[in-house]
Amino acid sequence: MIIAQLIVNSLIIGSIYGLVACGFSLIYSTNRFIHFAHGVSIVIAGYMLLLFHSTLGLPFILSCILSIIITSLIGWGMYNFIFASLQKRNASNVILLIASIGILIFFQNLIQIIFGAGIKSMNLFQAKSIEIFGAIITPLQVVIILVSICLFFALYLFTSHTKIGRDMRAVADDRQLASIMGINTKKIANYSFIIGSALAGIAGILITLEQNLSPFMGTNLMIKGFTGAVIGSISFVPGAILGSFLLGFFENFGIWFLPSVYRDAIAFFLLFLFLLLKPKGIFNWNKGVKK
Amino acid sequence: MLELRDIDAGYSRLKVLHDVCIKVESGKIVVLIGPNGAGKSTVIKSIFSIADITKGKIFFKNKDITDMKTHELVDIGICMVTQGRANFNSLTIEENLLIGADRIDNKKIIDMKLDKVYHKFPVLKKKSKQRAYILSGGEHQLLALGRSLMQSPSILILDEPSLGLSPKLQKELFKTISELKEEGISILMVEQNAKKAISIADMTYLLEDGRIVLKGGKNILKNKKIKKVYLGGR
Repeated sequence: MIIAQLIVNSLIIGSIYGLVACGFSLIYSTNRFIHFAHGVSIVIAGYMLLLFHSTLGLPFILSCILSIIITSLIGWGMYNFIFASLQKRNASNVILLIASIGILIFFQNLIQIIFGAGIKSMNLFQAKSIEIFGAIITPLQVVIILVSICLFFALYLFTSHTKIGRDMRAVADDRQLASIMGINTKKIANYSFIIGSALAGIAGILITLEQNLSPFMGTNLMIKGFTGAVIGSISFVPGAILGSFLLGFFENFGIWFLPSVYRDAIAFFLLFLFLLLKPKGIFNWNKGVKK
Repeated sequence: MLELRDIDAGYSRLKVLHDVCIKVESGKIVVLIGPNGAGKSTVIKSIFSIADITKGKIFFKNKDITDMKTHELVDIGICMVTQGRANFNSLTIEENLLIGADRIDNKKIIDMKLDKVYHKFPVLKKKSKQRAYILSGGEHQLLALGRSLMQSPSILILDEPSLGLSPKLQKELFKTISELKEEGISILMVEQNAKKAISIADMTYLLEDGRIVLKGGKNILKNKKIKKVYLGGR
């Protein structure tokens, strides 16, 4: 059953893109600049897992937790040492975007110096594939889909039911009004970077288990996550996640007709199409939000 | 209570205000009027550190607050209703109101305040679970005012509160503002509707080209300048 297999593949790739997009869009919505270095946070998490588990031999769960914490800290550092100090000098959002691309290139090369340019793989959890409705899926891929869906749900509960989540939505709506209402916008920006980068860390771990690691894979992942976010709604986290799943479906059903090397071309085509025709995305339910 | 002393302020290189002195006494209503572009909103923005102050100091309860950050002012009791549709559109109306009560820990007091606001503005209760972007212009203004009531400020700063309200709602608004004064809240208000504003004010300042050109009580209405500019002389 080719359709079933395509749907399963779309779900797997969609959840990975969704994990990239949700952290990215969380950071975008509260800070209003494009944090491209989010892509390298994902790769850092992968290499940290490799370091802790394969090289140092720490237990798997502990390695995962350490990787997520380190990724979170690096995200926090990126905001405080680079973006916040640029913002203090009244840097525009374009300058912050350029700075984030600089951070991306810096860390990618740092990883290459430390771990080498070659492809690394973990080869963990090599269990037998299972068959669902004629589609073949590995247990790891099932875990990826389940973990990401649980995370999306947790993120939704966090933003809709906690005070910090509500403050994040308020800052995303209107930054100036939020600070007039007594919300410390810098604190909220810090939270968004810590949580967003932790999500990147989880994405990095799952991607490392599923695919191979290479120092420059972050750029491509970021472009896919960004495309997913643009399709859905860049400033609205649930929209960004749904957009990423849509991108997964478009890619997989696209390469049913086209050679599979066109996978990236499909994503770019959609990105241009949406930026030209519907830059706010199709799942933008936050009507009337100040831009 | 609140005092602006010789304030020069503006936005980066653009200077808007020159030597502005305004004093709000405790429990009084002070109104700031002036033509468009006179710098009325900039006065308010300079209190909230949104505009840059280049000279002068701001005092609140004899404490220098010139360099305080925007988000810290709520803590000491200075609250503001900003101009036009000033609500969080993707939050529900109830969340919009509750954001004002962030500083209160006691849930009973919060519920009591919420009931009071709903009683005052029943239209907000009817739509409390809906997102704020569905509200009309006038309802937006009521929501913003309602939220500032949740904050229990010692001074409330209002930037053109009557903008976009129907005559009936305007009347309601000015009544509410007078009631707030009865509760002991000091008020600093920028208003286009000069005649109505002066009639409830204890002190009125006229701002022109970033300078205070006139100040006085209710008798200011009889002043030639005010008559000429605001009450149809020109």
